[in-house]
Amino acid sequence: MSENKPSIALFQCRWCLYAPSDQEWVDHHLPSNIHLTKSPCTGRINPLYLLNAIQGGADGIVISGCLPEQCHFKTGNMAARRQLDEFNDFLDYIGYDRNRVRFVWLDLQDRGIIQKELAAFEEQIVALGPVDDLAVRVKPVAGGANA
Amino acid sequence: MPDIEKIKAEAKRLLQEGVVDVVVAFKAGDTPLHPQPAFFRSPEEIDNLVYGSLCQNNLATFLTRMPKQSKLGMVVRGCENRSVNALVVEGQKLRENLYLIGVPCEGIVDWRKIVNQVGEAVLNVREEADLVMVETRQGQATFNKKELLHESCLRCIHPTPISADILIGEALPEGDPNLARTAVEEFESLPREERFAWFQQEAERCIRCYACREACPMCYCEECFVDHTNPRWTESGATPAGMQAWHIVRAFHQAGRCTSCGACERACPMDIKMTYLTEKLNHDIRSKYNFEAGMDAQTQPPFATVTLDDKNRFTV
Repeated sequence: MSENKPSIALFQCRWCLYAPSDQEWVDHHLPSNIHLTKSPCTGRINPLYLLNAIQGGADGIVISGCLPEQCHFKTGNMAARRQLDEFNDFLDYIGYDRNRVRFVWLDLQDRGIIQKELAAFEEQIVALGPVDDLAVRVKPVAGGANA
Repeated sequence: MPDIEKIKAEAKRLLQEGVVDVVVAFKAGDTPLHPQPAFFRSPEEIDNLVYGSLCQNNLATFLTRMPKQSKLGMVVRGCENRSVNALVVEGQKLRENLYLIGVPCEGIVDWRKIVNQVGEAVLNVREEADLVMVETRQGQATFNKKELLHESCLRCIHPTPISADILIGEALPEGDPNLARTAVEEFESLPREERFAWFQQEAERCIRCYACREACPMCYCEECFVDHTNPRWTESGATPAGMQAWHIVRAFHQAGRCTSCGACERACPMDIKMTYLTEKLNHDIRSKYNFEAGMDAQTQPPFATVTLDDKNRFTV
């Protein structure tokens, strides 16, 4: 965690924010400690992405997607829910706190939920403190062996 | 113990009548504790076939390494039969190209337990009913087979092959499913720090030889995620982060596909415990989706399908 704000990875399905103002806020006005990764559907979010975010130094992860039966690709979100939920359970089993991962399933009619959810999640992560378990990957040094 | 002569006679018949091109089974290895997988292509070679509780490998591994159209005979135990079924579900082989000689399994003996107890080179091993007789330079030692069994065999639920073409020997009673569950629940009840310390301690001993991957019948990708470096799917170096990523993702790729044979753990040269990871996933899949991998050759694993009751399954 940096001095004051936790770093949060946000994985967003590009169809889940139906209101243009919400999507605009996520695209252009995100706080600098939230790192956005847009994907075509939550079904495209491989559990490996979560692990990469954690090992890349994220303190928490938010996944936002559509509710069941509202998926742009019919069943992408259902497949994602099965896998990502199980992956979160599995990370918890080996000792990574499950409260560091939050799922936000949004209805088409929802407005302004994502901002509230991100703010609440940030508070939750601040309360949990800096991440102390899964090893953070070695940062490549310019000109070094891992570069 | 099934009659080895009956297995040999059946294997010989398969080759003589041309039912299969090759029979996959075990032959005596270089050392007495390690019978090794072998491919028998002619009836004369069958005399070398052995079967015993020291046969460590899961033979279903070779199903995806043989040409897809080849006709394969295989001596299978309960777990191998389930692995074969799971591979058939995933379209790796047609069931009609397989002939399974089923053998009810009384458990696989962990050779490390023998070596630890006798403490020196083993010259000869004999099995008689429930006893394992070990001959060393110092003399003989006799062990009860039950005390030498591998952990995953102690928790085995289906020791008898469920869909073999011929079953040699008497079917064994089903195991107790609670044993697998209590092992997971015991680990889950530990505090978070202890669970992570255990995982870290196991993962950091890894030497990245990928023996667990090679021993696993369900790890058949042409290119594994750790070997793919451009783009790099995950941290794959020999660093603490790389070890942990490997152990997490290797296990997670088995979710809903693992048949709890324990071949990964038996293959590990560093004696790293890893079935506690796959057991957790198996337990979750059993309790959430009522699915067990390899119990038939049609049902897709839960992560390959979706149903509309998922709407009520997740509350978050």
